[in-house]
Amino acid sequence: MNQEHISSAFDRDLEAIQALMVKMGGLVEAAILDGSKAVTTRDVELAENVRKGDKVIDDLEERINEEAARTIALRAPVSSDLRVVLSVLKLSASLERIGDYARNLAKRTEVLAELRPVSGPDKALKRMAKEVQRMLKDTLDAYVRRDAALAEDVRQRDEEVDEMYNALFREFLTFMMEDPRNITACMHLHFIAKNVERMGDLVTNMAEQVIYVVTGEMPDDGRPKSDETAFISGET
Amino acid sequence: MNDMRLIERAVDMDDIKISARDVQVYYGDNHAIKDVNVDIQDKTVTAFIGPSGCGKSTFLRCLNRMNDTIDICRVEGDIHLDGEDINDKRVDPVQLRAKVGMVFQKPNPFPKSIYDNAAYGPKIHGMAKNKAELDEIVERALRRGAIWDEVKDRLDAPGTGLSGGQQQRLCIARAVATEPEVLLMDEPCSALDPIATAQVEELIDELRQNYSVVIVTHSMQQAARVSQKTAFFHLGNLVEYDETGKIFTNPEDERTESYITGRIG
Repeated sequence: MNQEHISSAFDRDLEAIQALMVKMGGLVEAAILDGSKAVTTRDVELAENVRKGDKVIDDLEERINEEAARTIALRAPVSSDLRVVLSVLKLSASLERIGDYARNLAKRTEVLAELRPVSGPDKALKRMAKEVQRMLKDTLDAYVRRDAALAEDVRQRDEEVDEMYNALFREFLTFMMEDPRNITACMHLHFIAKNVERMGDLVTNMAEQVIYVVTGEMPDDGRPKSDETAFISGET
Repeated sequence: MNDMRLIERAVDMDDIKISARDVQVYYGDNHAIKDVNVDIQDKTVTAFIGPSGCGKSTFLRCLNRMNDTIDICRVEGDIHLDGEDINDKRVDPVQLRAKVGMVFQKPNPFPKSIYDNAAYGPKIHGMAKNKAELDEIVERALRRGAIWDEVKDRLDAPGTGLSGGQQQRLCIARAVATEPEVLLMDEPCSALDPIATAQVEELIDELRQNYSVVIVTHSMQQAARVSQKTAFFHLGNLVEYDETGKIFTNPEDERTESYITGRIG
């Protein structure tokens, strides 16, 4: 629906909350990249920046909530307009959660920097975070362009992230079995990997919201899922 | 739709009360209603929405042959009430209008007492044998109009002395006094304040238990609030007719979407 409202102030309101959400998305993308970079390079200073940046993300979410409530109260949006407002609320809530996970990556940097290095998983972690960031970028692009096909593509790509996580899980087990002195670091790194995997899930939910905005319907659950770690044991 | 309200409402949404097929209305050379086909369900509130001049009121007036009173107006097509053709020569329009009552935009009580307003229809249709029966009918009508408690102590007072909202509810009571089966409402709240509007809307929802209600409204919020089915008219065409929840969350037609979201008619 590209047509403008008769009331141009309504258009401005809707554009404003969407712009805030997209801005928030950009900050969260950066937080994912910086958080993963900080933790994999043990860059304590960068980690501190990510933690500080999360405050800005949280504030933006609060502002979006206020503006969306205002728009609902004053404009009583229906149909596609209502979907825009509802989706902005849900998208910003997911972004806020992803921001929290990114902050959690950053938080573990300091302790990891003091532990003996575990070589190997860093690269895979960074690749995984990079993929999640790309998925998020595509989701936001899909939102702005109202491109349901691109959102569906993101939804399918979550499987790759899950597979990366499964591989890392096995890798951590191996490291810990090889040398118990790796356990502390591996536990932290595992939490990080799990958090990145959760970010992927949230981005997938966001992609589903984009499909809802565009088509008016939530996609059917035809998404491949492959978290196998519930079935992996260290025993051989 | 998995809307809870629709599930609740779906219970009594199967009987067709009025069925219109290929209805055309002409005002002289002006083709005002084009090929309208619609099934209006019993015990359901159906809202007609659309921009001014889209034909919604004209179509509403076809349903109790109010257009007969306009010389240049010509109606074609079939409109059946409970399977009977209402435009059949044997149908007496006065009897038809007792069955298909109407409430107008501006409250128009007769310049008579409150009692006489409610008693007028039953009297001319000979519905009461004696005064006691008439009293009963009047009380029932005023109760259904949700105004009994406010007027029971002053039934002899003039109907025109009531507030606007009360007058409109009196007119609704007058319309239901003849035990109609269908109630047509042409913008019944546009002259009322928000409180009176809410009272009339509450009344409409109650009336739904006994009648098929068709309401023309310019307020889309009102259509959304009171109706279970919504029909969108545009330039004399019935563009879309569906469950109200569907129309206001995800309509099929672009024109419906444009209209309900306030992007032109």
